[in-house]
Amino acid sequence: MPFASGYFRTSYARDIRLVDTRVQAASLAAFVAALAAFPFLASPFQLDLANQFFLASIGAVALMLLTGYAGQVSLGHAGLLAAGAFTVGILVKEVDAPFWVTIPAAAVVGALLGVVFGLPSLRLRGLYLAVSTLALYFAVAYIGSEYETKRGFSTGIIVDPPSIGAFTVSDSRVWYFVLFGAAAATVVLALNLLRARSGRAWRAIRDHETVAEALGISVSAYKLAAFVVSSMLTAVAGALFAYYRGFVSVEAFSLFLSIQYVAMVIIGGMGSILGALLGAAFVTLFPYAIEALIEALPTPERYANLVFAVNYAAFGLVMVLFLLFEPEGLVGIWRRVRDWFLLWPFRQRPLSGTK
Amino acid sequence: MKRLALTTMLAAGLAAVQPASAQDAYVVGLSGALTGPAAATYAPVIEAMRAYVDHVNGKGGVNGRPIRLVIADNQGEPSKAAADAKKLIAQDRVILLINSSLSSTYAPMIAESKRAGVPLFYAGAVCPKETYPPADPLQFCSTAFGAQYDSQFAMGFVKETSKEAPRVGYSAMAIPISRGEIDYAEGLTKQMGMTPVDKQVIPPPTPDYTPFATKLKDANANWVYSWAPWVTQVRTLEALRRLGWKGSYIAYAHIQSEDELQRLKDGDLYVFGTNAFFQDTLPVHAEIRAATHRANLNYPITQLTEGFIAGLVLEAALKGTPWPPTPQKVLASMNNLKVDTKGLRGGPIEWTKDNHFRTRQYYRVYRWDPAKGAVVRVKDWTGIDVK
Amino acid sequence: MQLLVNIVVLASIYALIGCGYVLIYRTSRVLNLAHGELMMVAAYLLLTTASLFSGHPFAAFIASAFLGLVVGVAVYVVLMRKMAGERVLAAVLATVALGILLRGIVVLVWSAQQQYPGQALGWSNPALELPGGGRISVAAATLVLTTAAVYAGLFAFLRYTRWGIRMRAAGQNPLLAAQRGIRLHGVYALAWGLSTFTGGLAGMLIALDAGLEQTMVVIGLKAFPAALVGGLDSLVGAIAGALVVAAAEVLLIHYVNPLLADVVPFLVLIAMLMVRPWGLFGTREELDRV
Repeated sequence: MPFASGYFRTSYARDIRLVDTRVQAASLAAFVAALAAFPFLASPFQLDLANQFFLASIGAVALMLLTGYAGQVSLGHAGLLAAGAFTVGILVKEVDAPFWVTIPAAAVVGALLGVVFGLPSLRLRGLYLAVSTLALYFAVAYIGSEYETKRGFSTGIIVDPPSIGAFTVSDSRVWYFVLFGAAAATVVLALNLLRARSGRAWRAIRDHETVAEALGISVSAYKLAAFVVSSMLTAVAGALFAYYRGFVSVEAFSLFLSIQYVAMVIIGGMGSILGALLGAAFVTLFPYAIEALIEALPTPERYANLVFAVNYAAFGLVMVLFLLFEPEGLVGIWRRVRDWFLLWPFRQRPLSGTK
Repeated sequence: MKRLALTTMLAAGLAAVQPASAQDAYVVGLSGALTGPAAATYAPVIEAMRAYVDHVNGKGGVNGRPIRLVIADNQGEPSKAAADAKKLIAQDRVILLINSSLSSTYAPMIAESKRAGVPLFYAGAVCPKETYPPADPLQFCSTAFGAQYDSQFAMGFVKETSKEAPRVGYSAMAIPISRGEIDYAEGLTKQMGMTPVDKQVIPPPTPDYTPFATKLKDANANWVYSWAPWVTQVRTLEALRRLGWKGSYIAYAHIQSEDELQRLKDGDLYVFGTNAFFQDTLPVHAEIRAATHRANLNYPITQLTEGFIAGLVLEAALKGTPWPPTPQKVLASMNNLKVDTKGLRGGPIEWTKDNHFRTRQYYRVYRWDPAKGAVVRVKDWTGIDVK
Repeated sequence: MQLLVNIVVLASIYALIGCGYVLIYRTSRVLNLAHGELMMVAAYLLLTTASLFSGHPFAAFIASAFLGLVVGVAVYVVLMRKMAGERVLAAVLATVALGILLRGIVVLVWSAQQQYPGQALGWSNPALELPGGGRISVAAATLVLTTAAVYAGLFAFLRYTRWGIRMRAAGQNPLLAAQRGIRLHGVYALAWGLSTFTGGLAGMLIALDAGLEQTMVVIGLKAFPAALVGGLDSLVGAIAGALVVAAAEVLLIHYVNPLLADVVPFLVLIAMLMVRPWGLFGTREELDRV
């Protein structure tokens, strides 16, 4: 699909450029400007939703690299988030470390765990790999809960907001820019990794391992690299979560959270960074959308106590319907809409009777 | 001063946008486990509170204004609780936050309540130590059970009731709060000159409790003490009985206990708690019955006492809050509160500046009497001073 | 002796739940993460049938188990049939979504509180004294016997009946099976039905022994590692895996630390994955399949 008429790429450098045309550059600038203006227009609650989305998108992009590009399924993502958050919690409580120590420490812990999570991938594939990452998740959760109990933080560890000198990052608006920056950096990093040798190697491994090996790609090294990068990013997301929410506890990182991240990747659309972002937005905002919708419906007072169960069920129902009717994910919808506008007004109508 | 004027103007501007009904009401926000795995323990409390608030509003509200209770469902998940708290404070501008959920949801709500200076009230959720003297300035609790005091009473009861030297076994659920309490009880047992023999920490969803019970029985315990959610308490007991264990079992009287005693019909199961059972048929029980009937609740009436008490406390706290309400005014009212529990508890719930739990905690012990074929009171209100 | 009884009971629970995972996986290669929820729904249906057939506990039990079968077939026809041809991960996610939906429905219909189907059926659950000094509750004993009967029935069904052979054929090579005239959708629907039926039996019997509430879902999930240890496409494996995991769990609780109970199945699993990734009795080529 050409994005601009009469425009041809004449060098490899142009071919892998992130921002290709002037229109793209302009729309990107407009988009960033809109995002920068958002916190000054939004209500505090909308701001919190945006922050949640940024946090989720870091993890979703990280998982997309691993699952969508390198083809390695992981159900241990909640464990990595927990590892990052607990690194912060433990360092803050034990040695009162500032954030410029804890966040790099979380990244290091994440990278190390990435090697551990990645080792089974050298032997296992598919479902079996997913389950081995699940097992590692349980191991991380076990260690976290032992720490909480042994040190007497039975209701979770409270983490004070990070501060630089006298300035404390506690306002949601400041947080918005911090998390926006982190998410944007993650996306840029991911795009750069994908257009370099590593990205091509990952795709080759995903599509056919044997062929990739035959092409001279070191399959095990690149698999481990995918796990390390993904885990590091995820652990940093966990660390940011700890600071943003102001607490750490094992229960915040349930198995369901792992599944939510997998849902983001699939609902967004496999093999697309945009998909990861759309998926993160959908999974984060969707429960609130349903709640708002059901609240807007007139509920007779007598049935007020059923609303929450209906909410819960509706979430499952919409997800089922979505998977049934939009298997390509949100990115599929996005592409269709974009193509419609690109082709307009020369839309080709299918011949009658070929439907 | 300028800032105040600005805030007032801003508030006035927002007030113009808000519907009139919301402005006239005391707005209170609750985040609780209405669905999800922990719902069995918390949903009845929340529903009873809602029914009580409706009941109060039906009588004309508090200080002539209705109470608007905004309820959010956190499913027992900390992240949801954090988002709920943020939304309740930022969007609904509540003057008081209520938590009725698992202890893992406390930390995020405490963090939000601290940032906004809105008091946090635990209703039906276990009282954290921060509400005991010297209390955290923002946290309050009306829930029946309270860590440490419960075990002090229970171990005292074991000591005075046991005919032979007590060899105590323990059963906890593998959640930090229950484990912490059981560890405390174990230490207490030794201090009081009794022998702790074995401690089982059981993961929450367990298909079969027999392996754990086998160990308690093999350790030759003649008393077993359990302080955990009802499931763990009762299933450990049932597994022990199936193994032929004949000892005495003491457990906390959670909201289900009145019906459960009648179901189990076990003469050596003692439950201790702070709420009067419905068998007392106090006048207030009739009131609870009427309120829940109007609200069309499908929970057994015996499970609603706790939520009704929380409602009484809420009403009293708001009564002491002059119009127009602010979080600071609610806080002032809550720091000096005395709630008549109408016989549902052994005495009033009293909060002071540095005690946000109660000044005196009263316990009762019940059990099933096989001879009479009824639930009987083993020990009437016994107070423990909270210091 | 009591330890042995404990192992057998726990192994039966895991095996009876686990065969549901195996049945679906070996015929259609889908991992059903809603198995715990389906199990719970069947157990809750027992409450409803108990009030319909009051005074006939046995009839209520049979009716509810049969309803479980219907629910399983319906899930396939309405939902999973449409997922054919999608990524396996998407199909798995669809089962997760189904699970969430079912949990919501259960709260909506039966409320969140603890229920006792045994009481509703008018069924008491005394303990039996076994020769050798062990004790077992009637419900647990029934569960062990049911597990044995279900496995015997399944082996006979898969080996000797027309539909059983079709099911095995569809599992081994769906393309060839379809070309041979086997209606795959029928076979898959039957697999889902049988899986929910056996899971439902497990759910109902556990509920009779221990009461019923939302946490049953997690019990369903705990049986999954057991099935995986044995090899996800083998029924014999499911029994073996259940025995290994149950033995490890009971013995560790007894001799080491009860806190480990939650982690044990997964520890066994990691050990297994290191040595024989395809499970005790699984087929080796499975590894490339997913």
